[in-house]
Amino acid sequence: MYYIDLAVTGLSFGCMYAMMAVGLTLVYGLLRILHVAHAAVFALGAYLTVIVANATGSIGLGFLAAIAVTPLFGMAIYRLLYEPLLSYRPDVPMIASVGLLVLMQDAFRIAFGEQGVTFKNNIYAFRIYDIAGVRVNAVQVAIVVCAIAVFIGLHLFTTRTRIGIAWRATVSRPKIAASFGVDAIKVRYLNFAIGSALAALAGGLIGLLNNLVDPAIGYVVSYKALAIIVLGGLGSVRGTLIASVVLGMVEAYGTIFIGSWLNRDAIAFLALIALLMIRPQGFTGARAT
Amino acid sequence: MWHQLSKASGLARTALVGLIGFLAFALVAANPANAEIKIGFQAPLTGFAATDGKSAKIAADMAIEEINAAGGEIGQKLQLIPYDDQAKSDQAIFTANKLIGEDGVKLVVNASYSASGRAAAPVFQKAGVVMISAYGVHPDITRAGDLMFRLVHLGPPQGRAAALFIGKDLKLKKTSTITMDNDYGQATMDGFLGAAPQYGIEVLNKYSYSLTDRQFGSIVASVKRDNPDGVYATGYFFTGGPLVAQLRGGGVTAPIIGSQAFDSQKFIDIAGPASEGTYIVDSFDRARNDTALQRFFAEFTKRAGYPPENVAAISYSAVMLMADAIKRAGSADPAKVRDALAATKNYQLLTGELIGFNKLHEVIQTISVNTIKDGKMKFFAKLGDLEAFAPPEK
Repeated sequence: MYYIDLAVTGLSFGCMYAMMAVGLTLVYGLLRILHVAHAAVFALGAYLTVIVANATGSIGLGFLAAIAVTPLFGMAIYRLLYEPLLSYRPDVPMIASVGLLVLMQDAFRIAFGEQGVTFKNNIYAFRIYDIAGVRVNAVQVAIVVCAIAVFIGLHLFTTRTRIGIAWRATVSRPKIAASFGVDAIKVRYLNFAIGSALAALAGGLIGLLNNLVDPAIGYVVSYKALAIIVLGGLGSVRGTLIASVVLGMVEAYGTIFIGSWLNRDAIAFLALIALLMIRPQGFTGARAT
Repeated sequence: MWHQLSKASGLARTALVGLIGFLAFALVAANPANAEIKIGFQAPLTGFAATDGKSAKIAADMAIEEINAAGGEIGQKLQLIPYDDQAKSDQAIFTANKLIGEDGVKLVVNASYSASGRAAAPVFQKAGVVMISAYGVHPDITRAGDLMFRLVHLGPPQGRAAALFIGKDLKLKKTSTITMDNDYGQATMDGFLGAAPQYGIEVLNKYSYSLTDRQFGSIVASVKRDNPDGVYATGYFFTGGPLVAQLRGGGVTAPIIGSQAFDSQKFIDIAGPASEGTYIVDSFDRARNDTALQRFFAEFTKRAGYPPENVAAISYSAVMLMADAIKRAGSADPAKVRDALAATKNYQLLTGELIGFNKLHEVIQTISVNTIKDGKMKFFAKLGDLEAFAPPEK
């Protein structure tokens, strides 16, 4: 029973991390930029969800608002921050990205207060389901369901639709895709739009799960998500999912056995180091060039 | 005279204006009636601890305004010289040096966290500056010297009081403990673990988490397996809130006792219905029938947009106490203010009655326990057994 509880916890963590990290790996796959400011997009999504939900009384509307608005923010980041810096070494846009993240975190604090914002009527986090002795709340179920839906959706999108195939082509064979008439710029905007929308969804779900959106909410995303996409194989969506679940499980079980002398993050990164030493290209290998 | 002035050469004109300006400045600076008593103030106004820093600053400003509206102390107004230490040691030392060197401050209220307060204390002691630590709990703060004072119970006495409350008042035997792995969380838990056997409490298991954790799935599963009579947890409202919500969500029904920093309306907001019945040791009795407290409560809530917690109340009281010491000493000289502070007896802080300071300038004060009932913070019990949680003498 105890170990099943831990497995459910691990899965829950894993799906959370997967949702946070997928947008990041999409950007790296296309532009080879470590989009650290993804954490700011995530946090913006969380704030929009809670503020609109509190203002309108509908959590669903909160999510819709976040998913509708953050892609614009994400695309703006590409256009204003990354596009001008693309001709430089990859660490230049990454530094700019770090700068934006630091700025945004203080901006959230000034705009929305240091104490953070809680949902006025968070029915889902307190709705508990008892499934054969394992207790989960509605938001945890939603996170797992969303993670599965997102990954299946992305897979179908990139293999069954014209736009999706064009996107995949631009990522793996940009010159050939261009010669087929695929507009690389439109693909980039699409990439940021989808990645940001997914970050917003993840942010809203985490905010709902914790019943608290505070300026530090992007903190975990800013470093752990980066580690996860490296572990998964930079640019690989499938790899990100695998790495997320593996890391979630390691944290869930690891903190029980060695949690007294190493905290959760230390355990996660120790596992990361070990796994990367065994397999430096990540779970699904380097992206094809 | 003016047309003669305009005829004079540019250099002579400049010199004359400079001389007049200097004389005016010297007159103002030398006039004691205009001089203000500077009270240095360090708080985390930005960074991860900005929540508490903002509360402390608003409260300190309120205190200064009130004191000055009543005419100041010893015929002089008080002036707050605030600095942002971001709750970081290096910033604490940097701003302490600024207060000493640039601002010439001799009396300081430190309304910051343990790590930063601990870094600033020896700097002030060496410079002969009196410092009151409003809520920083690290033991080294008062150990830095005789000019240091602390207005809040140390972590270990708070933990010992929790053991007394859990063992004697709640009569719970088997507990699981959950510690936040920073100075504050660990020091408080150490006090609890040390005193637990004395009250017949058996600690089943100890768990820990970090300041940035918000998801406690593994701890919840483990506590469920332990099946304790009670759970004692240290942390802040933004970790305690999710922790309590998840413990209840996971099916843990045993009473949960939290540490001082749980004590905030935000804790109730975050944990929602799960907050009901949580006990908080060394809490702030907000509803106490005290006009000064109720007036502070209303004014602070108006200014800040949220109700005051312990940090706000104790920061306000720290400034008030410093002013009171200046009055009793009849001077702003640090050595005299230190003596007046050390001699304080039965002074009413917003957080309760300060019976006095001990040799190490730690507070001798009763500890109250709050509980959450019907979604509101309510006073539950007062622990008067001062011996049980007496602070250290050195």
